Amino acid sequence: MAHGHNSKEKVVYVGDSRIRQRSERATPPDYTAYPGKSEAFIPNFLLKEWMVGCVMLVGFLVLTISEPAPLGYPADPTNAAFIPVPDWYFLFLYQLLKMPYASGDYVVLGIVGLPGVLFGALLLAPFLDTGKERRFYRRPIASAMMFISLIGVVYLTVTSWAGYQEELKLTGTTPEHIVREEEARDRALAGLPKESKVKKEAEIALVAPDDPAMESMKVATCLGCHGTDLKGQSGPSLRGIGDTLSEEQIMDVIKNGKQGAKGNMPPMYDSAKTQGLSDEQINGIAAWLAKQKKAE
Amino acid sequence: MSNHNEHEKQGNERKEMSRRQFLAYTLGGTTAFMAGGVTLPMIRFAVNPLLEKKDKGALIKVVEESKITNEPQEFSFQKHQVDGWYESEAKLSAYISKGEDGKIFALSPICQHLGCTIGWNSDKNYPNEYHCPCHGAHYTKDGKNLAVAPRPLKEYEMEIKNGFIYLGDLMDNTRVK
Amino acid sequence: MAKGIYNWIDERLDITPMWRDVADHEVPEHVNPAHHFSAFVYCFGGLTFFITVIQILSGMFLTMYYVPDIINAYASVEFLQTKVAFGQIVRGMHHWGASLVIVMLFLHTLRVFFTGSYKAPREMNWVVGVLILFVMLGLGFTGYLLPWDNKAYFATKVGLQIADSVPVIGPYVKEFLQGGTIVGAQTLSRFFALHVFFLPAVLLALLGGHFFMIRKQGISGPL
Repeated sequence: MAHGHNSKEKVVYVGDSRIRQRSERATPPDYTAYPGKSEAFIPNFLLKEWMVGCVMLVGFLVLTISEPAPLGYPADPTNAAFIPVPDWYFLFLYQLLKMPYASGDYVVLGIVGLPGVLFGALLLAPFLDTGKERRFYRRPIASAMMFISLIGVVYLTVTSWAGYQEELKLTGTTPEHIVREEEARDRALAGLPKESKVKKEAEIALVAPDDPAMESMKVATCLGCHGTDLKGQSGPSLRGIGDTLSEEQIMDVIKNGKQGAKGNMPPMYDSAKTQGLSDEQINGIAAWLAKQKKAE
Repeated sequence: MSNHNEHEKQGNERKEMSRRQFLAYTLGGTTAFMAGGVTLPMIRFAVNPLLEKKDKGALIKVVEESKITNEPQEFSFQKHQVDGWYESEAKLSAYISKGEDGKIFALSPICQHLGCTIGWNSDKNYPNEYHCPCHGAHYTKDGKNLAVAPRPLKEYEMEIKNGFIYLGDLMDNTRVK
Repeated sequence: MAKGIYNWIDERLDITPMWRDVADHEVPEHVNPAHHFSAFVYCFGGLTFFITVIQILSGMFLTMYYVPDIINAYASVEFLQTKVAFGQIVRGMHHWGASLVIVMLFLHTLRVFFTGSYKAPREMNWVVGVLILFVMLGLGFTGYLLPWDNKAYFATKVGLQIADSVPVIGPYVKEFLQGGTIVGAQTLSRFFALHVFFLPAVLLALLGGHFFMIRKQGISGPL
């Protein structure tokens, strides 16, 4: 850096860029000489802030370790007994809508009126409270409104929660996630493995799997597309086919083929005959397939 | 280079740690504690698949021993597969044949070049060989790689019990190097 | 070594002034809890940010296992909570962090309100802050549905019913959020998109504005 010495006299750039070449090291400012006791953000102030952060973090981790996040049972839209409850910070809104002048004919007031005005006022607070005074006890109107709203929100939240508990007691229900946790604890104490609450789709079983029709289907090369277990391969699954097609319809598909979602099935009747199947055996296939119904 | 000298001079004057430096180190330590406390559980959570004990696949009954000939035949079988929350019946297939030494072995039909599916005697130009349609890799009956593929075909772990052949996990070919 | 690399980059990009500006700015005495213990009320904003960072991180990690699909959503949450090591803790962080962030935001809002810090010239920053509160509530609402258990499903139904009763626009808002006429597959996928992409993007933009204004205007003076 041959031209480094001139840096004090004129601005020197690094190469052809717009970056100024600096010769002095940036020295951190020292606020100790200032009146009052201000300090630099890093490291002085941030260290103090993060001491508070550490305390909170430890508390937070203890909470997450000791109290697992709740998880109920899989959503079941037909479950009529479930008592819905929103997360706690929405309870006040939830309760507000149960109040006499915020529901029914007044629902507009409950939804748009009150919350709208309150949240609107919160959003626009600096434009509503424009005085220079900052101390809260010197601006009674703003502070009073905030206090009233606070009391209202706390009251609504508490009533809502109490109402929920009451309802649980009346209907004799325990919230699902608690049932689930207790069950998991009991299982753990009994040394049983963890249990999943996911409902498994029951596999449709073959009806009369020893029927000679199965052998005929192998000969007629049906299984090549529909799978050796009839669960489908390039062709669709035939398990439970009796629920959608009758014996005659199945026979029609065997004779004339079908344009299905998975592709086209060619007419198989003649090819089955050439494989040496009798009409009787082919009828047997259709009859057996028509019997394939989902077990109730 | 003047600033460099200045810096050195300063360094010589003060040997012990300044208050600022001490605070900076403490702040660094606190930062590390907080970052660690937050991210370590998450990192362990993310790398869980690597640290999980892989259970050995169960042996699955595939076919009667008596059906096996010197000519490789393809047999398919199903394996129960648990992939996280998704359980399925994976469809697998194997070429099973008797070797020159009379021993039965099962090869995986997955080409060791780029993972296409090979077939026995599927190409007229390569009689009595496994041939892959994708890039023309071919293998001997024992699975030895003759062209393109870098490794011999994988073999299934196998057990013969009560006249039935049971297949397990894939392993490196034991018949050829 | 590290210093060498830093100097090399600094010479080319002049990065020192950028972080120096943040690191060296003056913090006045009245917000320092070491001088007046009552100044701890000034910590809530920073703590909110800290928990927000935890939320972003834990959320990112949760999506490594979670799938937003009505058939698999519950199964994947159950799997990550019960089968994956530390899954219970990571999901716990996200679940409890969601509540804690609201608590901290609430306390921060009250501090700013009662110290009158929202007054001129800081009106815009207050507005941005209240918008952040709204976005956080939106994140809470959309995140609640994702595990797809009964609680999630029915609470969301109620929430959407509330949206429905807003005059004129209500039914449209409801159908937009539902992505159809029922709470189902499309709702879940929509809520996931809102929760993971749209709202966090808005949140980050607002946070950027919030911090920029704080740096520009400084902390409000002592009362």
